[in-house]
Parts: sequence; structure tokens; C-alpha cells
Amino acid sequence: MTIQPQENPGVRLQGVNKGYRIGNEQVTIFDDLDLTIPEGDFVAVMGPSGSGKSTLLNMIGGIDRPDSGQITCGFSKLNTMSEGAMGRWRASNVGYVFQFYNLMPMLSAAQNVELPLLLTKLNARQRKERVETVLKLVGLGNRAKHLPSELSGGQMQRVGIARALAVDPKILLCDEPTGDLDRKSADEILEMLRVLNKEFGKTIVMVTHDDSACRFAKRTLRLDKGKFVESAPITAQAA
Amino acid sequence: MNTFKLIRLNMARKRIRSVLLVLSIAIAFFIYALLASFEHGFKGADSTSERLVVSAKAGAAQLLPISSLDRIAQLPEVATVTYRSNFRATFNDPKNFMGANAVDPSSYAAYFEGQYNFGEGQIAALETQRDGLLVGAAIAAREGWKVGDRIVLNSPFERKLDGTRNWQFQIAGIFEGTGPAIDTNFVIMRYDYFNLGRQNNQDTVANFGILPASGVSADQVIAAVDARFANSAHETQTRTENDFMKAFVEQFADVTTIVQLVVGAAFVTILMIVANTMFFAIRERTLEIGVLKVLGFSGGYIMRAVLAETLWIFAIGVTLGMGAAYGAGIVLSGPLSTIVPSLTLTPSIIVNATLLALVFSLLTGGLPAINAMRIPTTAALKGA
Repeated sequence: MTIQPQENPGVRLQGVNKGYRIGNEQVTIFDDLDLTIPEGDFVAVMGPSGSGKSTLLNMIGGIDRPDSGQITCGFSKLNTMSEGAMGRWRASNVGYVFQFYNLMPMLSAAQNVELPLLLTKLNARQRKERVETVLKLVGLGNRAKHLPSELSGGQMQRVGIARALAVDPKILLCDEPTGDLDRKSADEILEMLRVLNKEFGKTIVMVTHDDSACRFAKRTLRLDKGKFVESAPITAQAA
Repeated sequence: MNTFKLIRLNMARKRIRSVLLVLSIAIAFFIYALLASFEHGFKGADSTSERLVVSAKAGAAQLLPISSLDRIAQLPEVATVTYRSNFRATFNDPKNFMGANAVDPSSYAAYFEGQYNFGEGQIAALETQRDGLLVGAAIAAREGWKVGDRIVLNSPFERKLDGTRNWQFQIAGIFEGTGPAIDTNFVIMRYDYFNLGRQNNQDTVANFGILPASGVSADQVIAAVDARFANSAHETQTRTENDFMKAFVEQFADVTTIVQLVVGAAFVTILMIVANTMFFAIRERTLEIGVLKVLGFSGGYIMRAVLAETLWIFAIGVTLGMGAAYGAGIVLSGPLSTIVPSLTLTPSIIVNATLLALVFSLLTGGLPAINAMRIPTTAALKGA
């Protein structure tokens, strides 16, 4: 008898409920939400403000928890994890890209990228090599020693992506990664994400308000009032 | 990069604020260390709880008859007994004060064995030379005296039989303390020379010094001596040298309370400044704390990093403050030598300062550190 390797189930949300209490009012964000994102997918999530896009991203990344329901990433059940276990899981499985980059202002580009590697067992030399590799990958090999204040918006976002890639995570969660960039820089970043998905097999979930950003994703999910109202493949990536 | 470097870079991101914080801590610990040194020196840095002092029960300023010596010496609890009369003398300038002890040289040397190094033959020289004077090394250095010099000390309080206040001496030796903290800002003369030459209070002493016999506790000696003189015309109060010095100083001012009030005020002020600054410094970084949590850094790690940052700020501040106090002690020890014989940063002051710094860094860093640890990641990312 041979044992077949189990296929990675990707990201799966089942019967997820999530709400917030604002004053005396209970606001429902998700009501019995189901979603499956196969490994290697590149999903753009769109929707109006308050539709739950960022909450969805945070729950997939283990930053926020559902009130009920199950979230599975790969073979890890996020619901059952403690905060500490969730942090350790996130450190090695999830890369997070922020709209406003959120780089540490006192650290150089290389040091920002090295930050998540401090949680790994890599020694200083191995960390240095890894940092050089990912900075070259995002085209910033010559900016390693620059502080964030010395970089343009597009360059800062590249550093942000390099930081997210440093631990070689399976999943990249991007919260409006081009929201603070001009069109040209935005397209460069989106193209980079497309390559990371296509060439390196990263599963990418990207929240965006930018319709043109969806061209780079494999499919787009539209959220409204806590429900997916539309799911459509996008031609550019599909092609 | 490592965690330590991350903490260091965080400290350096607002240099002026960090420098001011460190300076304020340094000033607080400078005040503490200097006042504690002052208090220590003023109370008698060299006093111990092994040596006992017998003074008049009516008050340390009252005199006791020298005739009490034999009655004390006869007690089986007593191994060594000595006596002394004290007066403040001046040399050349009425403001140039120095302490002077009129003593029995051999018993005095035995009483202070281990504290002063009288050198070979100094005590014998004093015993053979009636107007001899043993001079502390600090005074000898200050006045440029050497053995064989003839000097005249003036006493505002002790008039001679001829009505003058000038006491002639020939320096018979220069003694040193056995350690750097030992006070040598005084001179020693023979009691018989002083006693027979003075106009008033003849055959009296300021106090007696006792070393307990082997196996006898200080409490037993205290009880025995005071019982011997109970209900007499010259009742005694026997105390350890530490207690005696403390009571002596408190005749003039409660130095301990003054030091505690000043240091306490300085520390409370600094504590509030540092706590407030650290609280807002960490609050400014709420978003970054959120990012660290997203990257997988645990709340415990972040809490330790904040505490370590506070600890470092205090460590640098304390080091600077104590270093400045040490330097000030060296500079001030000369001019203040007649008031505070030994202005030294003792190991106990350094240990206390270190412990205080540790406690204060935990107090001031604790709240922001706990907040940083407990804030939910989603709230931190919103910069809440």
C-alpha cells in the first residue's frame, strides 16, 4: 500500500460569524460565511468600506478570531490555537503586506526585512544571506542600508513585500498594497505579486479598492454586508 | 541585527528625549549618591557596632570623671577600656578647624586596632614625649606638617592654666587609616598633658571606649557598665559606636530624615517624568507594536523589550549619576573634610542605587510594557 501525499486544502472558512459591539449596538460583519481559497490561488477581495475586507484578512492571518465557525489554513485549525501558537504559526506561514508599509522607521531596509527572521533559528550569516536574496528579488539589492525615510513609496512597499517574503511563507495577505502608490508604482507592485503567485506558488489574498488591481489576480471576490456577492475570474492573470 | 540592537535603535530614535531622560535619572541618582555619602561620612564612616562608647546619661555633651575608668576596667565583661577628651582646635586661621583627641596612647591604639596604622614606634614616641602630637595623614598632607615640626594649636573652648588658648606641640608621628574611607582629619595628644594644662574640667573625659571581653556580647557589656553606675552621680549610657555617632549627629540635625526627604522628592519627580515619558514613548509606537505582533513576535517578547529599554535608560542614568557623585566626592572631600571626614561612595550606596534603579525601571516601564503586551493586534494596527 502506498500513502498518497495529502493535498494542501489551502484556506478554508466554514460557517464563520463575526460581529463587533459598538456602544450598545451589536454590528454583524459576517453571518455564516464560507470561503475556500485553494493553495496557489491569487484572490482579490473588493467591497465598500465596512464590508469586512480587512476583518476577513485578519481572520485568515490569525490576527483576529471569529465569534464562531472554523478557519483552516493548510492543515492548521486556527480556532483551536492559543495566542502564542497563533503567533508562532503566523511567523512561519503568513506574510503580511500593509497599505502604508508599516516599516520600522529606525531600521534600514535590510534590518526591516531581517526583523521576522529574528524569530527563526537562522544564524546571523544565514539571515544576512536571506535578506540579500529577498531584497534582490524585489529589486532593492542596492538599497539595503537605506532608511525608510530615504525610500520612495514604491520602494517602501517593495521592502514591505520583502519583509513578508523573508520567512518564505505559504500565504501572502495584502491589505490594499497599492492604496498609497501612484499608478506606475502600483502596477509594479501588483506585477511583483503576480510573479510571486505564478512563479513561486504563493497563495495571495489581496484586499483592494482598485478595480485595475484585480486584473493581476486570478479571481475577484466582492464583499457586501458580510456576504460574497460576486466571484469572477479575471482575464489578465487567467491568460 | 539582534534584539539588543533593536532596543538600542528604539532608544536612539528620539535622541534628545532619551538624553534628557537619562540626564534626569542621572541627576536623581547623583543627588542620592552624594547625599548618602554625606550622611554616611557625617555619621562616622569608620564607626562599628563592635566598639562601645560610654558617655554621660544626661547627654553626650556632659563630661564623666576619669575616676570611672577603674570601675569600668574592673568589670569582667570588659577587655579593653580607653578614654578621651575632645576639643576642636584651629591652626593659623580661626576657620581652619580640626578635631583633637586627648587620649591614653596605648589603650587608645588598642581600641582602634585595625582602623588606624600608627606605624612603628609612634605610640611609644607619644608616651615618651609629653607634648607630642600624632597627626592624621589627611591633616599632615593639608598643612604640610612632618615629624619633628613644632606647631601651636589654638582652642576656642579650652583655656590653659596661664589663661592663653595656645597649645604647643611637637609632631611625634603621622598616622594613616587602614582604608581609604577611614577619617584621618584629626590629631591625637596625651591626655595628661592636656588635662594638667587646662583651666577647666580637669579630671574629666568626654567618654570611655570599651572592647568587650572574648565571648561577651555588646548587650551584656552595655548592661554591666550602665548597672555599675546606676543611681550614682555620674550615670552612664553605653552604646555601640554606631549608635553613639548617630545620636551625636542628631544633636545638630536629623541628617537621615533630611537626606530621605530630599532624595525622596527628587526620586518622585524623576519617577513621574520617566513614567510619563515612557508611557507616551511606547504609546507612540502602538502601530509598530501591532506590526511586530503581526510578524509573530509574542506579547511577552514585546513586554520584555519595553522593560529592557527602560532598564537600559536607568542603567545609563545610574552609571552617569554615580560616576558624577564619585567625582564630586573626590572634589568635595578636601574642602568639606572638617565637616564630613569621609565623603566616600561606599559599596552599600552603590548596591542601594542599583536596587533602586531596578525597582524604578520596573515601576516606570511596567505599565507601558504590560499595555504593549496586552493590546490586541487589531487595535494596535489601528494605532489605538
